[in-house]
Amino acid sequence: MRAAAIRAPTLLQAQRWAGTATAALAFASCAVSGELGPAMLALFPLALIISLVGGDKLRGRWQWAWSTLLGGALLVFAVQVFAGHVDIVLAAAWFVELLCIHRLWQRGTERDELLLLLLSLLLLCAGAALAAELTFGFAFLGFAVTGTWALALTHLRFAIEAGRGEAGSAALLNSRRIATPALLGGLALLSTLAIAGAALVFFSFPRVTIGGWRRASRPSPVAGLGDRVDLAQHGTIEDDPRVVLRVRLDPPPRGDPESLAMHWRARALSHWTGQGWRSDGGGIIPARRLPTRTHHGHPPSLLTADVEVVGAFSDGVVLTPQGWPLSVEFRRPGSARAGSQRLYRNASGDLFYQPVDGNDLRYVVVVDGVEPDLPAMRGRGRRYPPWLAPDLEVPQALNPRVRALAQRLGGGKDPADAAAAIEHWLATALRYTRELPEGESRDPIADFLFVRRAGHCELFSSAMVVMLRSLGIPARNVTGYFGGRRTDAGYYVVRAGDAHSWVEAWFPEVGFVRFDPTPASARGSRQEGLWARAVLLWDGLQQRWRTFVVDYDLLSQAQAIRRAGQILNQAGRRLAGTGGSGRLRTAAVAMAAALAAAALLAGVRRLRPRAGRGRGPALSPDQCRALRLWRAARGRLRRAGFQVPPGTTARDLARRFPAVGETADAYAAARWGGAALTPRQARAALRRLDETLKRVAPDGGP
Amino acid sequence: MTPAWKRRLAFTRMGRWYTGLTVAIGLAATNTGNNLLFLVLGLLLSSIIVSGLLSEQSLKGVSVERRLPSVATAGQPALVGLLARNGKRRAPSFSLEVREARGDVAGHGFLVLLPARQSAEVAYRFVPQRRGVHRFRQIELATRAPFGFFEKSRPMDAEAELVVFPREVAPAPVEARAPGREGDRPEDRAGIGLEVHLLRDHRPGEDARSIHWRSSARAGRLIGIDREQERRKRVCVLLDQRGLRGEPLERAVEQAAALVVREIDSGAEVSLALAGQSLAAGAGDGQRHAALRMLALVEACGGDEAPPEPEAGASVLEVRG
Repeated sequence: MRAAAIRAPTLLQAQRWAGTATAALAFASCAVSGELGPAMLALFPLALIISLVGGDKLRGRWQWAWSTLLGGALLVFAVQVFAGHVDIVLAAAWFVELLCIHRLWQRGTERDELLLLLLSLLLLCAGAALAAELTFGFAFLGFAVTGTWALALTHLRFAIEAGRGEAGSAALLNSRRIATPALLGGLALLSTLAIAGAALVFFSFPRVTIGGWRRASRPSPVAGLGDRVDLAQHGTIEDDPRVVLRVRLDPPPRGDPESLAMHWRARALSHWTGQGWRSDGGGIIPARRLPTRTHHGHPPSLLTADVEVVGAFSDGVVLTPQGWPLSVEFRRPGSARAGSQRLYRNASGDLFYQPVDGNDLRYVVVVDGVEPDLPAMRGRGRRYPPWLAPDLEVPQALNPRVRALAQRLGGGKDPADAAAAIEHWLATALRYTRELPEGESRDPIADFLFVRRAGHCELFSSAMVVMLRSLGIPARNVTGYFGGRRTDAGYYVVRAGDAHSWVEAWFPEVGFVRFDPTPASARGSRQEGLWARAVLLWDGLQQRWRTFVVDYDLLSQAQAIRRAGQILNQAGRRLAGTGGSGRLRTAAVAMAAALAAAALLAGVRRLRPRAGRGRGPALSPDQCRALRLWRAARGRLRRAGFQVPPGTTARDLARRFPAVGETADAYAAARWGGAALTPRQARAALRRLDETLKRVAPDGGP
Repeated sequence: MTPAWKRRLAFTRMGRWYTGLTVAIGLAATNTGNNLLFLVLGLLLSSIIVSGLLSEQSLKGVSVERRLPSVATAGQPALVGLLARNGKRRAPSFSLEVREARGDVAGHGFLVLLPARQSAEVAYRFVPQRRGVHRFRQIELATRAPFGFFEKSRPMDAEAELVVFPREVAPAPVEARAPGREGDRPEDRAGIGLEVHLLRDHRPGEDARSIHWRSSARAGRLIGIDREQERRKRVCVLLDQRGLRGEPLERAVEQAAALVVREIDSGAEVSLALAGQSLAAGAGDGQRHAALRMLALVEACGGDEAPPEPEAGASVLEVRG
């Protein structure tokens, strides 16, 4: 107990720390948006450290410099906003950040502290306008707790100062017995109440928005699916656990497996660069309708994939699940409403959209999941249309050993069998590794096939493409992702570490068919460690945050209200005995009875002590009687025509009208002197007063 | 009587800003449809609600009793105690301001914490600027807890009166209008004193010091002596307040009070004669209290009031306005 008292901060320290923490968390809520810019991002922590080190020494210093800086900043930001260079919300956030820093350096009076808290609140609002990430949610929760501390402790500090004066309050403000862990814990509990209330208000506040001035989100950072593959890189491929896709499949995969074995196609790369592949480079055109599939003798097996692509990884490419894409429909994330994007495609059949912002994209892809088997591909001949020329192009400096190997594996065979043979040989004869060869290799494919005999998926697919082309079979390298990991939130995630590469070979009347020479066990991400689980957990939280908070709209609200109504209705029917099992009904009735009894008991307990509560100091029966006697006497005097101004004391009245003397004495003795006044005495006094008043006239006085 | 549920609510400066900001954020959230702004709005609104509930919890179940000083003199500080008791079973009350309301006296005390089922006393000092009755009407229990957005107060009837004695001044040199004998004066009855009341036969068992030896020698038997009962110096302070108003009346009352105090302190029996009322002679603290109280309550009166009647046989010290 003693140790705890020593460890606790003084009230003054706790109040200042809480204010500082509140400002810091408000800044964090803005900073997580990533839009503040490096200068403003670094400025606040630096200023905070200086304010912590400098303390009161900074107070009142460089006022002219501050005035100039803030005035200048306001001017510059305003000009930038009017010129259209800076968004007004961002400019406001910058300016509020500067004001916050100024106030952090100038703390002393109650006004300073309250201004700091109000500015922190404005900074939080700016964060709400700038950021939509889950990290904002954590900053918001922290702000709610520290803000509660700061508000309560600031109030307490200045109430003590006002109530006791500067000298009298010093001991209390520097006492370590006030801002104890118990008080801070209680205030934290209070903040959870406020957060619960916030949640209630949030979900029930009608979402009838005017939508007059909604800020667009930040532009997209471009990363992820490039139009180039370089095989000459060295080092180790990191198994990146960051989430790229969130997928819901309809119908769901059979057996609801933990891992999904599915290829997610992004782009086809046809041109050999000598060290890797690059895309065709041709233009893209709007794709109002996707190409129809050549009939292959089987009924289509439709698979609908509701895909949400994390903005930072999409790079404008539509990822489709394995199969023949039949339709792509864009949606708004977390909503059933249609999105505003248009679908484009290039000559290679890759699908694109125009990324208008950096937010995630959601689309629904319907594919025909049936892929042609080997017999369906056999016997289609070798007549290829001219547009396949790029996919038949053999690298000029192709190592003869590669050509010889291709001939050995597929020479003289039907193209389909040749492709299957090469795929099988690569998958079984070579080893998968993420270790890239040290030093630059002039011929990475030959090096992979004959020297190292081990490599990653791009080497496997590249080797197969080159070998197929050397046999005169059109083929191309395809990039995308392989796999999918089930989450607790009921969807599959494809992670950056699932990046993969495979092959598409063309067969007359069939089209491009997927081959994957990488050993099946090595495809996709194999990371299952703590970090990967944490990333999955974080992604699940982010999804819930987005679904229940960021994208909560009138439609969601209506659904939630309907659901609540259904639950109430169901409960009502069960209680009424028209539904549910007998045991459930009994439990529900028992619970309702227990609740009613508890409410009744609480009501009785509340009412019982009420008689003596809330009326100031309790009067004894004699004092009450004295009060009634005095009021009655004044009433009689007024009725008899005597002027009794309000506020006339008993002594005043007795002096002016001696006839009231006896009553006044009895009143004063009982009301203030602790003397007894029985009902009989009170009645007798009034009776005598009546008799006296009958004898005297008001003008003459008694 | 003020009902127990009655509350007064006032915005603090912080509260005004906070509420204004809440409204502004509400408008911004409605306009933009930004859900995170709705979240911030929810936090602000629920903080206001929590603040209201907790401030009510702080005020509820607390009773206050005023403790007035036994003597108060104009121009001199007096201490008024306010005894607050938290009648709640478990919940403590925070940040309570106890203050006078609607009466003649303004004063307040501050309690940081009033634990459940406990009492605490705060006191405030006030300097009465005038003599006479000071009325206390209500005690207000106010709190800005927990956040200082609003000040919620609960008025409680607590009527009381405090009679403030006249200001203490140095007594002016006043000559006795009907000078009595200085010092103690004999009364015409036997008692304790120095003067001889009568001589009589000595009674057996009487103290030998009561024998008048010279008379005994002359008479040839033991003659006893009865002494004259002596009484104290008697002073009547006379103040004719008829026609006096305002400052002259106050000065006269203060002079009369100073004379009363001086004479009582010197051991005299003092009576007080005012127009329309009088106080019989007496000595000691009780008489001082009664005389000062009477002077404290002196009011201006017209010429139809009966003139002051000085006590017969007493030195009359008349105070003129």
